Amino acid sequence: MEKLTKNLRDNIQSIKGVLAADDILVYSFRAGDGTECAVVYADGLVDKAVIGDLAARPLAELGIRKNPSDDGDRGEMNADTVKDSLLFPEIKEQEDVQELLKEILDGNCLLLADGIAKGFIVGAKKPPVRAVAEPPTDIAVKGPREGFIEDIKTNMALLRKRLKTPMLRFEISKVGRRSETNVAVCWLKGISDEKIKDEIVKRIGEIDIDYIPDSSYIADFLAPRKHSVFRQIGTTEKPDVFAAKMAEGRVGILVDGSPIALTAPFIFIEDFQSSEDYYVSPFMATIFRAIRFIAVFIALLLPAFYVCSQLFKLQLLPLGLTLTIASSIQGLPLSPSLEMFLVLLVLEVLKEASIRMPKYVGMALSVVGALVLGETAVSAGFVSTPAIIIVAFSGICLYTVPNFVEAGSILRWLFLLIAGSIGPFGIVLLAAFLLYYLISADAFGMPLLAPFSPLVPHDLKDSIVKYNLQSLKERPALFRSPNKVRLRSGKKTETKNETEKDSGREDEKPDGQGGN
Amino acid sequence: MTAIHPIQQDRPVLNGRQLCFFVAFLVPASKLLAMPALLSYFAKGDLLFPALAHYLLQACVLAALLFIASRSDKGFFGLVADNLGKPAARILYGLYAVYFLFSALQPLLDLERFVYTAFFDSAPPMSIFCVFFFLSGFICTKNLKAFGRSADISMPLFLVAFIGLMIMSVGSADFSNLLPVFGNPFRSTATGFLETTGHFSDTALILPLLDAYRYRKGDGKKVMLSYGGGALFVLFFLAVFYGIFGPLAPRQEFAFIKTAQYFPALSVVGRFDLLLIYMMTVVLLFYYSFVLQSSVLCFARAIGTEKRVLLSAAINVLLFLYTLLAVKHYNVIYYAISLRLFWVFLLFADVIPLACLFLRQREKKRPENGKKGPPERKKRTGEVSRAQP
Repeated sequence: MEKLTKNLRDNIQSIKGVLAADDILVYSFRAGDGTECAVVYADGLVDKAVIGDLAARPLAELGIRKNPSDDGDRGEMNADTVKDSLLFPEIKEQEDVQELLKEILDGNCLLLADGIAKGFIVGAKKPPVRAVAEPPTDIAVKGPREGFIEDIKTNMALLRKRLKTPMLRFEISKVGRRSETNVAVCWLKGISDEKIKDEIVKRIGEIDIDYIPDSSYIADFLAPRKHSVFRQIGTTEKPDVFAAKMAEGRVGILVDGSPIALTAPFIFIEDFQSSEDYYVSPFMATIFRAIRFIAVFIALLLPAFYVCSQLFKLQLLPLGLTLTIASSIQGLPLSPSLEMFLVLLVLEVLKEASIRMPKYVGMALSVVGALVLGETAVSAGFVSTPAIIIVAFSGICLYTVPNFVEAGSILRWLFLLIAGSIGPFGIVLLAAFLLYYLISADAFGMPLLAPFSPLVPHDLKDSIVKYNLQSLKERPALFRSPNKVRLRSGKKTETKNETEKDSGREDEKPDGQGGN
Repeated sequence: MTAIHPIQQDRPVLNGRQLCFFVAFLVPASKLLAMPALLSYFAKGDLLFPALAHYLLQACVLAALLFIASRSDKGFFGLVADNLGKPAARILYGLYAVYFLFSALQPLLDLERFVYTAFFDSAPPMSIFCVFFFLSGFICTKNLKAFGRSADISMPLFLVAFIGLMIMSVGSADFSNLLPVFGNPFRSTATGFLETTGHFSDTALILPLLDAYRYRKGDGKKVMLSYGGGALFVLFFLAVFYGIFGPLAPRQEFAFIKTAQYFPALSVVGRFDLLLIYMMTVVLLFYYSFVLQSSVLCFARAIGTEKRVLLSAAINVLLFLYTLLAVKHYNVIYYAISLRLFWVFLLFADVIPLACLFLRQREKKRPENGKKGPPERKKRTGEVSRAQP
């Protein structure tokens, strides 16, 4: 373990020897007593003005003030003098060169002084971050509009702003051999199940990869089933949603460099819940959720049933509609399944292109997609109008549940393929297979399809149906929170013992709600 | 195979609610295929009585099994192991594994014919049904915990489908078709009872479940009530079915796809009742897969292995070949099983479980703190029963 020496030049040389990149800068200056000092930092990651004002200037003025340990004479500068002079709240002493290098790369700056065999880590980190804004993937008409950003410190602050309780805990670890990415596991002590938290911390600790660019990497490592099309870890970009999930007993994970926070355990029904559901009347929330639920079924099954109705089971459609469709598909060169396959492929291509395409080309894409491909293909007799209507409707329906789009797209293809080959029986079989797959899947010991299977009657109050807040007095039974009570009736102000009660010593009830 | 997560290891594999849902929703679903037509062929307007008699008999067996579960920590097979030794328990597991396969033979053919009728306008290739064995093969590799959850999810599926279909059907039913009561010769009704024995021998399926189930106070009452509820579903369906079709009922195979078709709105909006039928089919698929899963579980216990993938594959391939070859010989198989071998059902589903009442039962262990509640489960080396399925 290499340590610093008392010679400033040697120290700078050994640091620059390892950090030879041009963005690692050394700012040399003299303290008021003439001692040579240097600040080593990564360019662009630190606040230079702050270093100048709060570190360099006080040291430069050191000669004017007296060292309290001297009897009026200007004594030799030592570690205490430096620490007393600096006006930073975050100062850490360190002798180990490797640790100092890590801190520099992490965006902190290192202050060195000649004659002192220690470095001072000054928390002047100011990495380039964007402003807190409304997340584009999770827009709510009603409710908070703040979103997480790529900076973990900002995200932690956003969370702390919403959960002003000493029970909010963070456990930060570094993941990635090269990236040294900060990953913070956050939980509410006394509310989250400690076993789950420990399991998450353990699994994160076991990750041995060189680079973590985004939280999705962490989610991938945490997911128990690596090849599942279904999500197994919850994601959100909104601090209000994140805080609410933690208050229900989940454990949160923030990853530096990613605006997407993770929550675990995740249950399937979360995909159908929107943050807005909690800010509108429960009646409306229930309707919205039911619409999403039905829309996903339509999105997945409509193209498949359309193909089945033509190939295998004509009775699925009323006679009038069958005749209309029959007249529109007359003379088509493609079979119903191939036609639907083609139109669905066009939809997926258009969707992919519209996401990646620059905005100013978007208009052209709409014209090409809607008019050229759609209208002309029908006129030319390549595809039928019903097929385009069905695929368009299916595509729209899937976007009612944005978090389910990836899995939904894959499943829609699967249903279409099986409908074209095995017919409605294939659809039923695939549905049964997926259902069984979901009911047998657990993530962190929590069943993915709960509260429906296993049936947890208590948690049905916030599933497809959304009860009013007064009815949701207890936290979801599924997460086995040590402190079950969420809403205390008749208490308008917090009592002195709030903190103690939060720790879960009261309201212990036998866990008999959920099962298996 | 889904392992039980360490976080959940302290929970029982199955609970009373899931057992209730099994007897209330999965078991009645299996009665809606060929049984109504068969029963109406023999008993005509009196078809409710043989069904009721079956239910009463099976209720006695179920009550006996629940009594055993309430008195002993161990399941049915554990009790046999305690009294007659582990080899005897293994032999019994083997016999029940074969029995579950046997009991699936005719229902699988019924299911196959039902699929061709309900899902296709024209005759599809015979191999289409074989895809079912991919599903059942997958389910057979899962543990009973997954089965318990499938019972949970079957509840809304069954209720929505059954209630929807009955609402559409009941208007067309003429319940006077069921009159006069006891208008059919007793001998025919009794024949109907015997020939449908195989259709009502579901209580045998409870036996492997008991290995993974921890009895709680009050469970017995709940399960019996649920079984009664399931019986009511079936009896009501039989009444509606005979009310709609009357003397033509024996010709109406796979009755539940036909009862709702006279609902007036269907001519305008299309046969959306088919969606409910498909929903019910999911429950049926779970049920029949469970029969095969029980066989795989029993085979695994008999030969003392926890690796069920190969067993599952072997059994499903075997049945796949069977359905492929046997569907053309449906009548031969039907006569062999229903007329000549009906005693096998009586033996395995009724006689053996009831005989277990005479076995010596050890008192259930109480928790150390003296409170009433489920006993601690102790895993012993070589223990036959209560092994984590």
